[in-house]
Amino acid sequence: MSSPPLIGGGDDDEGFDWEAAVREIDVACENAKPSSSSFHHSRPSSVLDLDAENRRPAAGGAWNSEVASNYSSSSSLVNNGRRTGNCRQMTLDSFVGKAAAVRQVKKWVVEDVEGSAGSMGEVREGGFSCVEIDAEAAKTWVYPVNVPLREYQLAITRTALFSNTLVALPTGLGKTLIAAVVMYNYFRWFPEGKIVFAAPSRPLVLQQIEACHNIVGIPQEWTIDMTGQINPTKRTDFWKTKRVFFVTPQVLEKDIQAGTCLVRNLVCLVIDEAHRAMGNYAYCVAVRELMAVPVELRILALSATPGSKQQTVQQIIDNLQISTLEYRDENDPDVIPYVHNRKIELIAVPMGKDALDINKLLLDVIRPYVSRLSAVGLLQNRDCQTLSPPDLLNSRDKFRRAPPQDLPQNKFGEIEAYFGGLLTLYHIKRLLSSHGIRPAYEMLKEKLEQGSFARLMSRNEDIKKMKLLMERNLTHGAPSPKLSKMLEVLIDHFKSKESQNSRVIIFSNFRGSVRDIMNSLASISDLVKATEFIGQSSGKALKGQSQKVQQAVLQKFRAGGYNVIVATSIGEEGLDIMEVDLVVCFDANVSPLRMIQRMGRTGRKHDGRVVVLACEGSEMKGYTRKLANSRTITKHMHNGGTSSFSFHSSSRMIPHIFKPEVQFVEMSIEQYIPRGKKVKDATDIQTPIFTKKLTAAESAVVAKYFQPCPWRPSLIAFPSFQAFPSRVHQVMHSHRTGMLIDTMQNLQALSFPLDSRGFSFEDEAASGKCQGTESPNRDDNDEEDLGVGYGTPEHNSQSNSRDSEGPISQKLTTKNLSVLDLTGESHSTHAFLFGSDFVSVDSLGKVLISYVPSLPLKLVSYPRCPDNEAVPLNCAKRSPSHLKTLVEGSSGPTVLQNFCTHLHSLSEDPCKRNISVDGLKLSESAILVGDMVNGGDSVGDSFVDFGINSPCPSADECCHSREDTELSPRLTNMMQNGVVPESPTNDHDLLNDKERAEIITPMKLHTRLLTVSPGPWRNESNAAAVIGEADMADPSIIDQIQTPLRETSAAKVDKIVYSISPAPKASNSSKDWPFSPADDKSDSVKPVRRLKRLRKVGDLEKNKNPGSIKDAPSFHEANPNVCVNGAHRNQPKQGKGKREQFGIIQDFIEEEAEVSENGEVSEDERVDEDDNSYDQSFIDDRINPTAGSAETQPSRVDMMAVYRRSLLSQSPMVRESPSASFTPDCNSSCSSGKNNTTGSSSTNTLHSLRTPLHENQEGLQPSPAVPCTAASNIPTENSTMLEMRKRRKLTFHQPAASVPIINLEEEFSKQLEADPNPSNNIDDPDTHEDMLYDDQFFAALDALEAQATTTQQNRPNLSVQKQDTMLPNSELHGTPTFDLGI
Amino acid sequence: MDEQNIDPGLIHEIFKHVWTRTALEREKNGRNEAPTDADFVTVGGAGTSKKNRPTSANSNALKLSAELIRIFISEAVQRAAAIAEAEGESKIEATHFERILPQLLLDF
Repeated sequence: MSSPPLIGGGDDDEGFDWEAAVREIDVACENAKPSSSSFHHSRPSSVLDLDAENRRPAAGGAWNSEVASNYSSSSSLVNNGRRTGNCRQMTLDSFVGKAAAVRQVKKWVVEDVEGSAGSMGEVREGGFSCVEIDAEAAKTWVYPVNVPLREYQLAITRTALFSNTLVALPTGLGKTLIAAVVMYNYFRWFPEGKIVFAAPSRPLVLQQIEACHNIVGIPQEWTIDMTGQINPTKRTDFWKTKRVFFVTPQVLEKDIQAGTCLVRNLVCLVIDEAHRAMGNYAYCVAVRELMAVPVELRILALSATPGSKQQTVQQIIDNLQISTLEYRDENDPDVIPYVHNRKIELIAVPMGKDALDINKLLLDVIRPYVSRLSAVGLLQNRDCQTLSPPDLLNSRDKFRRAPPQDLPQNKFGEIEAYFGGLLTLYHIKRLLSSHGIRPAYEMLKEKLEQGSFARLMSRNEDIKKMKLLMERNLTHGAPSPKLSKMLEVLIDHFKSKESQNSRVIIFSNFRGSVRDIMNSLASISDLVKATEFIGQSSGKALKGQSQKVQQAVLQKFRAGGYNVIVATSIGEEGLDIMEVDLVVCFDANVSPLRMIQRMGRTGRKHDGRVVVLACEGSEMKGYTRKLANSRTITKHMHNGGTSSFSFHSSSRMIPHIFKPEVQFVEMSIEQYIPRGKKVKDATDIQTPIFTKKLTAAESAVVAKYFQPCPWRPSLIAFPSFQAFPSRVHQVMHSHRTGMLIDTMQNLQALSFPLDSRGFSFEDEAASGKCQGTESPNRDDNDEEDLGVGYGTPEHNSQSNSRDSEGPISQKLTTKNLSVLDLTGESHSTHAFLFGSDFVSVDSLGKVLISYVPSLPLKLVSYPRCPDNEAVPLNCAKRSPSHLKTLVEGSSGPTVLQNFCTHLHSLSEDPCKRNISVDGLKLSESAILVGDMVNGGDSVGDSFVDFGINSPCPSADECCHSREDTELSPRLTNMMQNGVVPESPTNDHDLLNDKERAEIITPMKLHTRLLTVSPGPWRNESNAAAVIGEADMADPSIIDQIQTPLRETSAAKVDKIVYSISPAPKASNSSKDWPFSPADDKSDSVKPVRRLKRLRKVGDLEKNKNPGSIKDAPSFHEANPNVCVNGAHRNQPKQGKGKREQFGIIQDFIEEEAEVSENGEVSEDERVDEDDNSYDQSFIDDRINPTAGSAETQPSRVDMMAVYRRSLLSQSPMVRESPSASFTPDCNSSCSSGKNNTTGSSSTNTLHSLRTPLHENQEGLQPSPAVPCTAASNIPTENSTMLEMRKRRKLTFHQPAASVPIINLEEEFSKQLEADPNPSNNIDDPDTHEDMLYDDQFFAALDALEAQATTTQQNRPNLSVQKQDTMLPNSELHGTPTFDLGI
Repeated sequence: MDEQNIDPGLIHEIFKHVWTRTALEREKNGRNEAPTDADFVTVGGAGTSKKNRPTSANSNALKLSAELIRIFISEAVQRAAAIAEAEGESKIEATHFERILPQLLLDF
């Protein structure tokens, strides 16, 4: 219509247009035809500016004047550029309304409009904005064509858009669509208008909101369903924020009354099931309230059955201010195409004989009361047959209001009782006729139990008879004819159709009969799956169904779980029960309204059938009567009911200047999402927050990590980082983290001994102090201790040590959990390790200082070493895998290499370890032991100078270079010796004992002076004795040790070892070292820690071993590393001890150097013992190979002897055990290796063992005259063990040794040659000493000595042989070692 | 950084996201399990019971969760930053985060 001017209208033109508009409006006042120009002008009015609003009040004043003046004023306002669309609209509307007013009530409507217009001005001041029209949208109204268009719907919708309409359509003809379209258009037209859809029940509300959404797709963010379940405050919010409300009338009523409903914004109110708008129902109240405001809104009332009488329909029209009635029924031409054939069958059912009899009896009962009442004049109708409860009710009401004058007051109660009784009786009669005997009987029975009816009737004979008759009928009578007829109908129905796909609803007005029906349906349960569908209220007999249950029933009915629903009136209207094929009305005498609703359950989408069961007689009569009623009302409603009803005027809502034209639109409707309680709010609030805040780059990052292929951080990417605690910010590490770190350390030690350690070390270093301390220590060591040569070994050792330190520190950390403590410890340990004497000053401070000065420190170190050894032993024992032991053993030697001073102790340690290992292995697999020994040997060999192990040569060189290098030879010797001693341990079988003995022996050696201590040691040689010693030394320590002690055997060993350690301390203290006691204490305290550490280390080693069996083959490398690690570990762990040991060792060395002569003797003796032990071991194990090896390697023997000696010297007990053990060990190691490794490996091992021994011997022997070397070796060992003597000797020997070591081959030969002699010599004294020491062992010692002598004699030969074979051996060493490792 | 709190609503959203996802997974699993059950029990019919009830969290729990997550995140960032710094980098990379992740997870 006026689209061009609308669009083209500019501000410049507006003034001109408005003048024309004013004129046209004036014309329109007459013609009620708004002009296009006025429309055009009204459009810009939607543009508000503040000025217009501010001036509005002034204008508003004018508005209350006449309409014309309003127009002029408004036009003037427009001319001034102040336009408010609402005002104009209102004025226009009011004007139009007035002009168009043809109907009666129109006047007040106009007044209302004017009033509202006037009030608008006032309200405007408060910032309240009346509903505005979106002019663009108002040009059209939208009709969806998603569903096939129906003419009558379109027509009704068009009507309903512009006037208040009551739509009376039969069910299933699309009332909801009309409502939805109207709502949607008002939604479009009034951008701020509120639209309310009221439906009488909550399920209906939910049903309609979805239905409306699916028809027109009003955006869900604007819609809300509000029922009484939402609390008022929330509803208040919703009223403000939403625009389309699906409410129950009660909510609407209350919110209007409470003022929370923004009534002024209401533009449209849809009332579903409008036939309820009677009396004071909430619909009526709400509408009255709205009209009283007043507010302009469109009212659309929907009902299938507006009323059964003309009056009721008129009431609805009045109550809802309806202007137009749109009525269609199935016979209307525009509806017929959409109405499915619905067959209605009325089946008259005879009442049955019993029922008739009962009915007659009932009438007999009734008759006297009726006659009495009618005698009084209260009942007009004397025919008790036709009386109905409503008649009685009416009569009673009349009686109550105006009791007959002539009736005495005292009769009132009686008459009331009569009325009550009659009501009950008629009710029973009705039940009887329509529902059968059972409900009637139950009713009667219930009524007879109590109340006035019981008082009135209890003595009535007819009642009693009737009751009896009913009972008889119920017990064995035929079923009610209605029920049987109903069953017939159902069976026919389900037989004719697929029962799965057919649905039936049976309506009954009475709950009791519902149960009856259910019971009777049970008889055809093969065909019928029936359920009841009743209301919520719980009666006495039947419990109601909650809404949940109802929904579940409907759900199952839809799904096919049930195919029959037996429903009361609840099933009649509203609820979305799926369409059914058959409706059975069990009782016919219901209002036509309800009958229509019942019938509406079928025939919606396809043909349906309705069966009405009516008893002949009163029920049939009632049905026909009501049917006639409904026909009359339809007549009234035809033709819009204009002739029968008086209608109310209503505003058009849309100014007439808008002539919206229908626009058919294919709506795109989003999936309806049932409203969750909080989901919507949360999403509304939440999603914007972080989507808005993200920049493009950030969202890209988010997309990178969280989109299709999510990036998953790896937890295993940096295992090395997990071996140490990461730096924390605020949150400290948890215990579990500690466990992780510990575990990772272990694992990494396994898989990457070097690398991981290196990493860890580095890490720690990075973390801090460790490196610094270490490096200085190293430097100190290098500078002070080492000559030129030392550097290399040191490097090796350092590298090793570093590696080892890393793990150690880690371990420490893990143990202590506190990083600081650990680092400190590690530092200290490092310091100790590197430069015990020198470094002592460094960081170690206390320990170093105290230890350094005193030899006892060395002693302490010894014990510690034994501890370490014991630990490995334990470890070995614990872990059957020899590799571990090997590693340990190897670690021992490596440690020795690394730390020359330590070498002694370490060498001892390895020896012991080897021994222990041997013992363990011997029992299980000697090969492994042999391997172990070999490994140790190999290490020693490597030390000696076999090219195989880089560290070994370096170590050897180092040893040579240094005085300490002497130690290294010693170490090598020690290694050799150690190998030997191992064999003895094997011989002894009791590894523990051996170890103990050995350990003890060192103690004893130290305590040589203190013969007393040896005694106990001897005794202690037994575990108990050891423990006793331990007790002697430090019971507390022992206890600690014991507690830490590992498993039983392991525990024993540990105990022994531990005890030994304390014992040595004690011995040390007792022996020569005043300091020692303190040291011991300190040691003792430390040992425990050490032990723990050791254990851990052992575990680690074990882990490594099993894990890295392959590493074993590369013993030279891996072992050294491992050894180093182990040594380091031991050292660091025992760091104090080791450091002390180092210091002690150095001291010892010096002392030994001093005492060298004496020491040599002792060493010799020891060697002798060792030799003896070797012999024994040879004999025991398998003399030949071992013997050969022993013979071939006198030097080795010497070494072994030295070890043994050391052990022996330390303790006669040790001698015995050592002698036995040593020899066996060496032999056994060899032998075992051979035996076990009978294959190439065994030979290799043997060779390797031999070769290492040879090497050791060579290295030892060459430089110092053979004896010297031997002595040196011995002393070193002894020194380590006995420290005093050994060191002296070692010091002497070592330098010499170092020189010879350099010349390996020659030296080897020399050594071999030289060694045997000294070794033999030594052995003898040792044996003698041993004899002296232990009477008990003497015999054994003698035997050993004899053997030793023989072995010694053999040894030279062997040594020569060995020398010859040395090179090959050396060559072989690599292989053997590998084999060993393997 | 410490001053700022994470909006509990955000946490709630995340939680709900996770809950729905887990619920779906559970449903899926249940569906997978259903046939096996059917093999043994041959019982059909899904119960409309508490299983379907959406998980919820009260506001205090959400606040607490928000704070915990804040601490967690800040700690993660700080630790990763420490690693990054140690490597002389000014930017925290995923690798830095991965290094501290295992222990971080164990610490919480």
